[in-house]
Amino acid sequence: MKLHEYQGKEILRQFGVNVQDGKVATTPEEVRAIYQEYGQPVVVKAQVHVGGRGKAGGVKFSPNEDKAEENARNILGMDIKGLTVEKVLVTRAVDIDAGTEYYVGMIVDRNVQSYTLMASAEGGMEIEEVAATTPEKIIKYRVDPVTGLRPFEARAVAIEAGFKGNLNKIADMMVKMSKAAFERDAVLVEINPLFIEADGTPLALDTKFEVDDNAMYRHKDIAHYRELSAEHPLEVEASDYGFAYVKLDDGNVGVLGNGAGIVMTSLDVVNRAGAKPANFLDIGGGAKADVVYNAVKLVSKDPDVKSIFINIFGGITRADEVAKGVIQALDDGILTKPVRMRIAGTAEDEAKVLLGDKNSDLIKMYPTMFEAAEEAAKEANALGGK
Amino acid sequence: MGILVNKDSKVVVQGMTGSEGAKHSRAMKEFGTQVVAGVTPGKGGQDFEGWPIYNSVAEAKQKHDANVSIIFVPPAGAADAVLEAAHAGIPLIVLITEGVPTVDMMRAVQEVKRLDAESKAGGGQGVRLIGGNCPGLVTNGECKVGIMPNKIYEKPGRIGLISRSGTLTYESAKLLNDAGMGTSTTVGIGGDPVIGTTFADVLPMFEADPDTDAVVLIGEIGGADEEAAAEYIAQNMKKPVVAFISGRSAPKGKRMGHAGAIIMGDVGTPESKLAAFQKANVPVADTMPEIIELVKKALGQ
Repeated sequence: MKLHEYQGKEILRQFGVNVQDGKVATTPEEVRAIYQEYGQPVVVKAQVHVGGRGKAGGVKFSPNEDKAEENARNILGMDIKGLTVEKVLVTRAVDIDAGTEYYVGMIVDRNVQSYTLMASAEGGMEIEEVAATTPEKIIKYRVDPVTGLRPFEARAVAIEAGFKGNLNKIADMMVKMSKAAFERDAVLVEINPLFIEADGTPLALDTKFEVDDNAMYRHKDIAHYRELSAEHPLEVEASDYGFAYVKLDDGNVGVLGNGAGIVMTSLDVVNRAGAKPANFLDIGGGAKADVVYNAVKLVSKDPDVKSIFINIFGGITRADEVAKGVIQALDDGILTKPVRMRIAGTAEDEAKVLLGDKNSDLIKMYPTMFEAAEEAAKEANALGGK
Repeated sequence: MGILVNKDSKVVVQGMTGSEGAKHSRAMKEFGTQVVAGVTPGKGGQDFEGWPIYNSVAEAKQKHDANVSIIFVPPAGAADAVLEAAHAGIPLIVLITEGVPTVDMMRAVQEVKRLDAESKAGGGQGVRLIGGNCPGLVTNGECKVGIMPNKIYEKPGRIGLISRSGTLTYESAKLLNDAGMGTSTTVGIGGDPVIGTTFADVLPMFEADPDTDAVVLIGEIGGADEEAAAEYIAQNMKKPVVAFISGRSAPKGKRMGHAGAIIMGDVGTPESKLAAFQKANVPVADTMPEIIELVKKALGQ
């Protein structure tokens, strides 16, 4: 689960990180009131789950209260990469020229089977950019998952990255960030920029924080951070059903299958057939007819979907259960888009018997995933898909 | 023969009395696996469909000389179950559970590796974890420690199979069967970001296995395990390897079902994996059926 800047800051503050103050607002009037309270120039920052807010005009310096309100009016409701800005964070403006900007972050790194700590003196820009242009400027260090990051390690990394300022305080902030990562199950945590004030004190000006979905059961206190409005409505519905579902842009073929690998491959096959997958939907292992029914219902709802490609290789999943779910959807009138399917594996013969009676323009079975995908692609492209 | 498990493997099931554990214990027994006991803390002393249930792995190991454990414990207790098996001295631990928090897996994997090193330093056989979020492993016609459908793994073949995906493992095993080749041992290494055993860990075992002629590797987007495998193959392997990569059309930054299947920045892209295999002279199949053609070609058939 991706968190907003202000939410990530709340977590880091709980772990003692010196985080730049700020207040959240949803109206321009509130922003004016916050300015009045601070009584100094502020920055109005869009709270959306995408990077590059600044470039999109979602972060504005506001030297007076009129300007703060005007900026808030412009930013609230703004569309940044397909997401509508519903909240802004108002922070006291900092004189960037009076200090230095660094970067520190931790990310789950499967190659070292733990977190990798990253530190760079090139703060303030997106770390991906630094990684692409000057990778030697990012210092990487494996954090031991049992001990967490310790101060001497943090100091060594800070020194190697060329950080200047109060080294003990900077290391202390890094250690606290590490504690937050382990205890709050971060997939990613970034402090960027990590601002070093004129007196050497570190201050976290901006943060990114993403929590491991698998660990949310032990973080019920931040469950309310999840914003359904920030997610695609179909993704919200899918998560209620317990599906692994991802809405994909510019697609026209709905895709569902049993297992992440087979669905990933199904997307590839649809692409190869000249159409575009509109979604990823894994019904999981051992799905019964009702699960399949819900999956078909969900995919059918997507207006982008012109045809549906179902790809099942039954192991634990029984092909006849899949067939029953699809037939139920057809009988209930939910299935109105052409379904091209390949069902193989456990109980394949029973499924073929069930579906044989229903063979029509709406439902057709094919012996291989390629034929089914090609037919689904043909249907979708003919029906005015993209 | 094959690798890691065979007809002599004695398997204990952690979480046998749960619905998944029970179902797959029966299926493994049907396959011919020597399932010797179950472990469910608090139910020790009970009998479950003819299997004795113990409170601890240590007790089950001591009574039955078990040397493999398969875990069906729910996510919150799964990493602890791994550590219990590792400390009890079980040399091969297979974690099926999906959805274990990554931090738990980081700690468990590191501790298993430490115990492995200690065991080997003391002349023991070490400790290996396979998974989590994996379908397990199977040596055809001998022993299945996993959840894959029995039917496609009955007849022994000579192709080793390693995969991050469950369903694609079944699919490719079936294709190999239908082509008259079949698999020797199949290892599902799992779809999570932090797993106990990687491609590069399994490849040397297949290289050394007299019953394996060639290896099929089913990778996917995310991480750099395929790149590491390619490097290992280029430097160490004489047997041919054929690769397949799924998720080649997946967008960046989106998690494709598996927690580990995500392209982050420039890490985990299909381009990087394809380039690594090309550099290692490992042919990559564009489609699943092409795997068969490439294997045949590699074996000079």
